[in-house]
Amino acid sequence: MSALTFELKGKPDQRLDLSPLIPAKLNDLKPKDIEALAIGTTRVKLSVGDAFKVKGNDAGSLRFVGTDGRCDKIGAGLTEGEIVVEGDAGAYLGDAMKGGKIEVKGGAGVLAGASMSGGSITIAGDAGERAAGIAVGETLGMRGGQLTINGNAGPLLGERMRRGFVIVGGNAGDYAGGRMVAGTILFKRGVGRYAGFGLRRGSLIFIEAPKDLLPTFCDCGVMEFDYLRILDRWLRTTGQHVGLGDRARRLMGDMAALGKGEMLIVA
Amino acid sequence: MPELKLKGVTVVDTFAEAFPMVGTRIIITAPTLEWALIAARTMTGFATSVIAAGAEAGIERTLSADETLDGRPGVAVLIFTMDTNKLQTQLRNRVGQCVLTSPGSACFAGLEGEKKLKLGASLRFFGDGWQMSKRVGGRRFWRIPVMDGEFVCEATTGLTKKAVGGGNLLVLGKSHAAVLAACERAVRVIDDVPEVITPFPGGIVRSGSKVGSKYKGQIASTNDAYCPTLKAAVKTALPLDVEAVLEIVIDGLTKESIAKAMRAGMHAIADGGAEQGITHITAGNYGGNLGPHHFHLKEIIA
Repeated sequence: MSALTFELKGKPDQRLDLSPLIPAKLNDLKPKDIEALAIGTTRVKLSVGDAFKVKGNDAGSLRFVGTDGRCDKIGAGLTEGEIVVEGDAGAYLGDAMKGGKIEVKGGAGVLAGASMSGGSITIAGDAGERAAGIAVGETLGMRGGQLTINGNAGPLLGERMRRGFVIVGGNAGDYAGGRMVAGTILFKRGVGRYAGFGLRRGSLIFIEAPKDLLPTFCDCGVMEFDYLRILDRWLRTTGQHVGLGDRARRLMGDMAALGKGEMLIVA
Repeated sequence: MPELKLKGVTVVDTFAEAFPMVGTRIIITAPTLEWALIAARTMTGFATSVIAAGAEAGIERTLSADETLDGRPGVAVLIFTMDTNKLQTQLRNRVGQCVLTSPGSACFAGLEGEKKLKLGASLRFFGDGWQMSKRVGGRRFWRIPVMDGEFVCEATTGLTKKAVGGGNLLVLGKSHAAVLAACERAVRVIDDVPEVITPFPGGIVRSGSKVGSKYKGQIASTNDAYCPTLKAAVKTALPLDVEAVLEIVIDGLTKESIAKAMRAGMHAIADGGAEQGITHITAGNYGGNLGPHHFHLKEIIA
């Protein structure tokens, strides 16, 4: 069995909605039926067969090849299986996904992992604004699982996040962790302005101290955190050597909101 | 039937009668092994017998820094009771009073299992609203603010209902010193067997009991058949030249681990035992009708 592969033939003249292409929906379909699935977003009808060359037969493991930033909703609602994207992903990557694994070799558009509640997404490149943020029609952002962005993240990363773990390898934009309810974001590099704006609970962990701190975050000083040791050791088991150590400056905030959140700035 | 001898010590053809228990394992870590041991010893103090101590608990083994979740030295503790509710209460009270209070400590689950016992999930209330829940790698931890920083405690730990309590060995000898030395040897080797503890003081109990008493309300009383001072008056189990009897009680997460511990213990007792005056190794039972697990000494050393 080889991964079910969708190779983009050319540049379609409309954005694509690839949400029908997840293992749970493809499992029982014949190749002919898969090619007939509608993925257009305009009045001009477009099917999988029109846009993609389909190969392989293992619907539990999907591969998208040659995709670009207009291929939206890859892995949206994913519950199981694995999706590898050899190219860029459009908006709503892994939107509201509950389980499974998505790996993007390129970058992703807006709202990657929005309101996801389980599973994991890894983006090798940059992610657009509102990654791990609020999906359309939802009141909360990410609710579980793990989102790894190895490049830069756009503004409003993790907006109203409720649970889950986000790790950003590059820089994050303004309002990172804005209005977060709970959960954890680990920033390996810098963040823009207003990080933690409206933070209620949850942890923002910084390797580099943020340049601008909101005045509504209050200092508790530097101390040891066993939590950082646990996190660091777990990250190492997943192959990521972050070097968190065990000491950090703790700031509590946002005191303009509930104020039970924290920034841990690794010392 | 020929008498079975192990290096000159008679192994009585009998069996240890043991009971099903519920049990769990937790891992305590601390800045140093010494402090992890202090927390563990405190938590497992006064946990010799469910007759009146509420639980039977002990230290299973120590853990090096690279074996624990937070990379600090740790101690694995086993705790057993007769039912799940009692175990939950004992665990909460003992971890709450003895581990939470111990400087620099953290506490983690040490057993997987579908059934769970609350650990941090009940102790978190000590945080008075300042506690934080953190999920790392699918496991949930509570961070509870305390005066030396944070007490990190995993939310739950697994529970086993296949635990066994009351595996035992009785050692008979011609002098108190010889019996004590033999039992010390046995406890030392049993310490190295995984999944078991010896809950009594130093792993050894001198007041073996029988069920019931002549006094109303006394549920257990001295095992007169093994009291050397009563040889003349009761139906004694002791030869005239036996001066002292000591018992090693073993609780374990599985019956296989208890059998292993008893086997190791018997060999350690017999090693040089005969020359020192150890005469018999036997085991305690209630006729076989009370406990479902029977550890026949003959089969164990076979």
